[in-house]
Amino acid sequence: MKDLKALVSSIAIACALASSASSIAAAAQCTDTIRVIAQPRDGLTLLENYKDEFAKLSGGADFQIDYLNENDRRAKTKADASTIGKYNVYYIDEANVALFAKSGWVAPLADYYPADYDYADFDPGRQKVATYDGKVWFAPLTGGGDLMVYRKDLLEAAGIKPPTTLDEYVAAIKALHQPDKGIYGTALRGQRGSGANVWRWMPYFKGFGGNWFDGDKPVFDGDAAVKATETYLEIFKYSAPGSQTGGWDEAVGAFTSGQVALLIESTPLVGMALDPKASQVADKIGYLPPPTPLTGGGYGHGLAIGTKANKTEEAKQCAGLFIAWATSKENEQRRLDEGQFSELNRTSVMTSPKFAERYGPDLGQALADTGKVTAVNFWQNASWPDLGDRWGIILEELITGTRTDVKEGLDELNGFATDLVARSQ
Amino acid sequence: MKNKSTLPWVFLTPAMVVLAVLALVPTVCAIVISFEDRELSRPDGNFVGFDNYLALFSDRRFVNAITVSLSWEVITVGFTMLIAVGLGILLFECVSPRTRKILALLFIVPVVLPRVSAAFVWKFAFHPLYGIATYPYKAITGQPLDLLSNPLTALGTVALVDVWQWGLFFSVIVLKLLETLPPQPFEAARLDHARTWEVYTYVALPMLKAPLISLAFVKMIESLRAFDLIYVMTRGGPGISTETLDMYAFSQGFIESGRISYASGMAVLMMIATSLAFTVIWKRAKI
Repeated sequence: MKDLKALVSSIAIACALASSASSIAAAAQCTDTIRVIAQPRDGLTLLENYKDEFAKLSGGADFQIDYLNENDRRAKTKADASTIGKYNVYYIDEANVALFAKSGWVAPLADYYPADYDYADFDPGRQKVATYDGKVWFAPLTGGGDLMVYRKDLLEAAGIKPPTTLDEYVAAIKALHQPDKGIYGTALRGQRGSGANVWRWMPYFKGFGGNWFDGDKPVFDGDAAVKATETYLEIFKYSAPGSQTGGWDEAVGAFTSGQVALLIESTPLVGMALDPKASQVADKIGYLPPPTPLTGGGYGHGLAIGTKANKTEEAKQCAGLFIAWATSKENEQRRLDEGQFSELNRTSVMTSPKFAERYGPDLGQALADTGKVTAVNFWQNASWPDLGDRWGIILEELITGTRTDVKEGLDELNGFATDLVARSQ
Repeated sequence: MKNKSTLPWVFLTPAMVVLAVLALVPTVCAIVISFEDRELSRPDGNFVGFDNYLALFSDRRFVNAITVSLSWEVITVGFTMLIAVGLGILLFECVSPRTRKILALLFIVPVVLPRVSAAFVWKFAFHPLYGIATYPYKAITGQPLDLLSNPLTALGTVALVDVWQWGLFFSVIVLKLLETLPPQPFEAARLDHARTWEVYTYVALPMLKAPLISLAFVKMIESLRAFDLIYVMTRGGPGISTETLDMYAFSQGFIESGRISYASGMAVLMMIATSLAFTVIWKRAKI
């Protein structure tokens, strides 16, 4: 039965691709190798199995993807885009889309994204973070908000209800923190970076009413930031070892190896926690939106067209065609077939019967609920990576105890922000 | 006679041209850029004189990076040489020639490993929950040991990996140097009832002064290029406790701010400081 379903699904995909290919192939005549720089994603690895399909669609083009982890990918794309421009397609994210767009390093995607591929089908939240200055700059490969994932068995054994407020959440992690039994209350991100420790700190900052800027004036250096930092540092006392200088990998690794009771992380965590191949606690978890007043960290990563390597309109069209194909409904359906939960971005796929059949109705509901509290927590500005990374270092110093005065750290950041705004004008 | 005076130039010129292109051009570019306010996100820059240099000395991270870099040099060079000499003598004195060959082969393996691979292997080994190096401590005390997250131990832990790579390799070189020494001075010292440590302190090591100083210089230069090891293991953290000058310059130039002029200022200062320091040390060493 499963084989039959797979066969039907394959035929459907082949037919869909054949029909879209016929309309696009007439326009596209790409023969060069499209060079892509990205961070590792299962969905991209899966694409490499279908190179022939893209060659047929494009008129003979090939593609080559170079992978780097998140921090290195950010550094490398910035260096490449501002200097030699070797890559036709850049993997960018919500944190640096403003920088890439403002600097002219990427081209407006809508001008080169074939209409047949239906960009409007992407999750609206992801479209929002891919947009800067009224234009869309990347097609999403992953994205979403936050979910609180918890160990049902541990909470039930301790007689604790899944927390819905921050106070309940803090009380629960304190009660469930038993290092002598190898169980830690939670796992935060301590590693420096706008996309690392700052990313997990921002829901507290925004949840307590903080704001980054009022026009060009920094306004973050206030009670909300102090309270958010103090709360973050307090919760860190119950965070798993290794997380003090760790990021997403360390936090999620600690949870899926069964050593963490409650974890608030980006939504792809659920897919990993539910996968028995990646998680030792796959049958013991529950999930809810983050406890109030925390906001979810809305994010999106995706593919954008580089301007330096694609000097001609034809080259940009080829890069656009590759991005459209890579993020197409058909390829997303393949990711669903492979159980790549975190790589799903299209409304049509996430609301499909097949998605509900695979992940159950609860997850769909949790994702819908968390969508209501998902927000853009960062400063949507080309200078955000500078500011976020600087705060990341100060925050890491506070977490690891090399500095202790929260207000002094925020004052230092305030001075940096004022200088940053002056330099960028 | 004429041929004799022109021949050195015939050989030197191609090498000097290659050196000029590969070394001089980037160096001059770095110096020029350091007097501007260029950033990666802006194609043009303005001349700002010594602003970048003046800003550096009021930058606490730059001052911290100088301290970390100096500490790194002293720790890694010092311990590498100590391990190299100690282990080299131990192998020479206590191990049979056949076993020495096997051990020498094993001791060369760490330095042959790519630096990044070695860094990843040790990073996992030091993981507080799953690491093999921290497992005994966890098994005995029941508490995890997080060496790379502790500002007091992080630099020393990374330095341990560096010393593991180079100390073992240098010990093989010291062993081979000892094997090349003539046996007569050793026999004479022993006839005069010198103890073993006296034989090495007053006879063998003074005879090896020149190659040992050369080894120390090689290690000093190598330690300046430890970016990859530190970057993989700590990324300069926790906080800024392992952030060396080259790491901070890279961070300012490409990771955080894209301030390439500011980063170039740091690179130029590093170049001047290392050239001066190495010249002074080389002159004083009097090989």
